[in-house]
Amino acid sequence: MIGYLVSATFTGLLMLGIHRKVIARIQKRPGPPIWQEILHTLKFSFKSTWVPATASRTLFIAVVLIGIGIWCAALFVVTEGGSVLILFGIYMLHKIVEHGYGLSSGSPYGKFGGVRSVISATSEIPLFVTIAAIYLFTHSLIISDIVAYQAVHGPLLLSVPPAAVAMYLVLLSKMPYGPFSIVESKELVSGYKTEHFGVWRAGLEVCNGLKTYVLLYAAVLIFIGQFPIWAMLALMLALLVSLSFVCALSPMLSPYDSVTVQTLATAFMIVYIIALVVMA
Amino acid sequence: MYEHLMENIGGPVAFALEFGDIVNYFSPYTLTLFILAFAFTVLAVVSRPERQIDIAFGGDAYTAKVITLQEMRFRRFMAIACGLASMGAMVSGDIFNFTLFTSMVGITNVGIVAAVRNRHVLNAAYEYGIVAMAATLPLFGGAAIILATTGTLSIWELSSGTWTVPAVAKGLLGLGVIGEGMAPFYAAKAEMFRAPGAPYVIMCSLSSLLIFLRVIEIIITI
Repeated sequence: MIGYLVSATFTGLLMLGIHRKVIARIQKRPGPPIWQEILHTLKFSFKSTWVPATASRTLFIAVVLIGIGIWCAALFVVTEGGSVLILFGIYMLHKIVEHGYGLSSGSPYGKFGGVRSVISATSEIPLFVTIAAIYLFTHSLIISDIVAYQAVHGPLLLSVPPAAVAMYLVLLSKMPYGPFSIVESKELVSGYKTEHFGVWRAGLEVCNGLKTYVLLYAAVLIFIGQFPIWAMLALMLALLVSLSFVCALSPMLSPYDSVTVQTLATAFMIVYIIALVVMA
Repeated sequence: MYEHLMENIGGPVAFALEFGDIVNYFSPYTLTLFILAFAFTVLAVVSRPERQIDIAFGGDAYTAKVITLQEMRFRRFMAIACGLASMGAMVSGDIFNFTLFTSMVGITNVGIVAAVRNRHVLNAAYEYGIVAMAATLPLFGGAAIILATTGTLSIWELSSGTWTVPAVAKGLLGLGVIGEGMAPFYAAKAEMFRAPGAPYVIMCSLSSLLIFLRVIEIIITI
């Protein structure tokens, strides 16, 4: 399990590197090498580390550990075929961790990053509508049951395409440099990450790598099905490149526009679910 | 597929504690939520608040907000109460207990920022308090309709499949929880986060999120 955890982290970091490279090439820039995020993580691991004088010391350190802990748990849930509700609960709790990163330092940039993270909570609502749509078809939220359902009835991507689109929107809201990346906007320096440096930043990078791997893996598993690991990685890569295209070609929305777009997506999904229930 | 519907939602129940027909249970889902509520409550107990820096735009000046010991004690107490209410809501097997814990979360959230001497924060807390108070009507109304139509509020009993819970009751229950601080009613709550005291303020967003996650399980289960 530890070996899988480490390889998932490095794969996730590599995918973030590929994401940056694809965006750069679309924008006619050379871009960083694809292993840049791995190098970042290793570099920060050996840089000098301290806690800002204004910070809430215990919280400042604890949120980094909680962030890594929840995504390790998410990886375990996905690989062991646990409840998809736990996975999405963890996705939502990641917002609280981001909030904690930002508020604990005392920095105004971190604080605004954290507050924006809470404001962008609307991205979570399409997620639960997605879950409701899945449940209507599979009558179970256990990942192994969902995979078994798809083995018999075909991919959920074809049965409930609007739910897959909502899930895609959820993934997009978590991708860096995307239209919904308001928490890391440059006017906030690095947003909630601003004051976390050295080993703490390496911890955040590990968390990001794991998060990217788990979310892409879960999206493929829930909407397409279970395949050998090489095929899973190929599908995750294809999904990632499509997300990179959207990120490269879309401007970052203002915080309120971001919330509005996600709210409209939620409203659309609710109408779709009501229609499904009425037809059933 | 499991026999009990709740096990198809949150995983197999690892431990159940019976009080008559009220069965408090720990599934992997409720246990995960409980552990997170516990972890952040412990953090609220052991963490000192940060000194929040505010920049005066247009110059080099900045100010640091320092929380007095008296204010810190009150806010820490409210944060711990909020954590305990959240933990209760996570493992409760009774819908009435769940609604009570949810209401307590709303009250303690106001309490966490009520001692802050900042006009914006107090205005936001006041507005949030009104929304949370109004939300208790659908919250308890939903529970009352469930009791009136089925004769029980035990989640364990209701998940057995022998009862048909009206969709309107589920909707009211969900609306009540959303009113306690989820989108789109969290607009006032976001302003509350201007308050210093990260270990306590974070409990406001965590508790709302946790009860929302729990009510999703309850609504699908019953």
